[in-house]
Amino acid sequence: MLQKPERLIVDGKRLDGRAFDELRPVKIVVGPLHRADGSCYIEHGKNKVMAAVYGPREVHPKHLQEVTHAIVRYRYNMAPFSVEDRKRPGPDRRSIEISKVSREALESVILKEYFPRSTIDIFVEILQADAGTRVAALNAASVALADAGIPMKGLVSACSVGKVDDTLVLDLSKEEDNYGQADMPVAIVANTGEIAFLQMDGHMTQEEFRKALEMAIDGCKQIYKLQREALLAKYGGLENE
Amino acid sequence: MNDKIIAEIRKDYIYNLARRGERIDGRRADEYRDIKIKTDVIQKAEGSAEVMIGNTRVLVGVKMQPGEPFSDTPNMGIIITNVEQVPLASPSFEPGPPDENAIELARVVDRGIRESNAVDLESLCIKEGEEVWMIFIDVHVLDHDGNLTDASALGAIAALMTTKIPNERFGYGEDTPLKIQNIPIAVTTADFGTQIFVDPNLEEEHICSSKVTMIFGSSGEFAGIQKTGSGRLNVEKIYNIVEISSKKAEELREKLLGVIGNGDKKEKGI
Amino acid sequence: MGREIVIPGDLLSNDRRKAGEGTYVERGKVYASIYGILDKRDKIRVIPLAGRYIPSPGDVVIGNIIEVGFAFWKVEINSPYEGVLNVTEVNRKIDLNKIDEFLNVGDMIIGRVKKIDPAMRVELTLKGEKFFGKIKDGRVIEIAHTRVPRVIGRGGSMISLLKKETGCSIYVGQNGRIWIKGDENSMDILASAIALIEREAHTIGLTEKVEALIKSEKEKLRGGESATKA
Repeated sequence: MLQKPERLIVDGKRLDGRAFDELRPVKIVVGPLHRADGSCYIEHGKNKVMAAVYGPREVHPKHLQEVTHAIVRYRYNMAPFSVEDRKRPGPDRRSIEISKVSREALESVILKEYFPRSTIDIFVEILQADAGTRVAALNAASVALADAGIPMKGLVSACSVGKVDDTLVLDLSKEEDNYGQADMPVAIVANTGEIAFLQMDGHMTQEEFRKALEMAIDGCKQIYKLQREALLAKYGGLENE
Repeated sequence: MNDKIIAEIRKDYIYNLARRGERIDGRRADEYRDIKIKTDVIQKAEGSAEVMIGNTRVLVGVKMQPGEPFSDTPNMGIIITNVEQVPLASPSFEPGPPDENAIELARVVDRGIRESNAVDLESLCIKEGEEVWMIFIDVHVLDHDGNLTDASALGAIAALMTTKIPNERFGYGEDTPLKIQNIPIAVTTADFGTQIFVDPNLEEEHICSSKVTMIFGSSGEFAGIQKTGSGRLNVEKIYNIVEISSKKAEELREKLLGVIGNGDKKEKGI
Repeated sequence: MGREIVIPGDLLSNDRRKAGEGTYVERGKVYASIYGILDKRDKIRVIPLAGRYIPSPGDVVIGNIIEVGFAFWKVEINSPYEGVLNVTEVNRKIDLNKIDEFLNVGDMIIGRVKKIDPAMRVELTLKGEKFFGKIKDGRVIEIAHTRVPRVIGRGGSMISLLKKETGCSIYVGQNGRIWIKGDENSMDILASAIALIEREAHTIGLTEKVEALIKSEKEKLRGGESATKA
């Protein structure tokens, strides 16, 4: 178990040595899964996240069909071994809420009207959780959608910002998340800068909120670059030949 | 936004109205429907409140009982918030376990109470590591005409403010008022492209591109935010929403205090 | 030839008239809607690298009969949408009581997408080409539908090469299914050539690679034959 540290910011640095506006290391692999139409694996700090996309495909049960557009389903699921104390398998209230708002964020870019009567299913498994799983999941889902050839207005790129020891910091670590004062996950559509996902837990002043939002957007833009690089790298051989 | 099908022509009509800053029920963009708050409506509950915002109506009951604390917070009481969207409240509600909308609603209400530290959880410790007070906040939706979030959040804090800890029933001496140290207020706005409307009614909720709920504590600080729906919002719009919502939150807080009386009085009782 | 990969949301042009497949227009500008290869030769379009087959009117498709109805068959066409083949779209008179004698569950057909309604209900027809109908011989090979244009080649160059070099007849369904007919050895060679095209679809010098493969396969075959004779 983590012990609560006395302070989370020491000599102007975070406990893991990062600057206030610095992301943890992020690694993105496009298309690791064989059966899915599109997939993505992300390591974000110690988070390990796998996303798969199936579809557009037939909707079961059929009464969920929409005549004018595809439906989108999103399942955020934590593996039982992903956290310190084993998590009971299956959806809990937290994951149902995360799944709902994450789906809505992706629905804001997916061109659903191209595929009436079908479904686009997005499955994200949190294999190891270490703060910021919902944003890592969204980032992986967004790349997996692109990999599946799903038409979208742009990639969704997500990042969280938080407040610890009265200081705003990007991309909370587990300790900062546990003992911090606020956590605000944000996702943007990089090419327009519009916000597709916004939640905030904790307390901050209105002034801090503005600054936090700016920091989060900068973080999302850094994530976008990594998503883009990963997608280009999958067919990287082509450009030089 | 939701499952209800609204004819395209009706949507266009409402968006056209919005472009002129008008709403289908004649309200101004930043105008709430009539708000009514009644407390102590259920005598069996430790605290209760009924809130109406226009035709929307929710009943919130608070029950308390001693229980075992969580192992990582041995000296803190526990708050559990639940929302039931019972079928009598809307033709679109179905019996059965809470769906994603009910769960989201409960978690947003819970977030406001928890993150604003409305209740001093440490004061709810009976014996460290063994027994603490558990607070169950149950929101019962009775009539759904939009903006359940603000009604439920208002009902939850109003019910808490009138809650008496049932010491007597469990052999801990006299009943005492629950100490409330912050009053979170949730304000929900709906995005209509050119306009932001506060307190969307049901029809507005269905056709807006997204909603944002912002929760503010007593000194105007944020206690929680939730964007819901599949729209996208630019940063200016979000700042605009902050401005509108924080102003409205103050109005709602005054209204609530007008009904319940000043929170300070409560503190004296402990 | 540079092959530029683009991803959804990439700005491709300020001229909305140039918007082609795989793009969308917002505020007068053209953006990529899918992850793929940019093609600016005529209109600006993005050639998909992945994605399910979505039928389009006029497409030749190869499908499996999955249901026999009162006066129609349902056909699986490797797509989120199934096709419906009405008895009236068949080049012969069908006895409605014995509709499954003509086509039954498990049979394969090659035909054309006749029309699609806005809810993506897909109507098929077996009228219009001599080779349309039930597939009774040869083999059906399945590849990613996004690779079909490479099997056909620019102006049909690749498919002509394949036909000439293997002596097989080849019918390509836009849905990624290819019907080939010829002697067993030739079909083996053709199948490996098509597999090569699918695997290396987006590399340069594909034609040369295919020629080399066919040549070496043929040589192997000849070597094998002479060895058995000897």
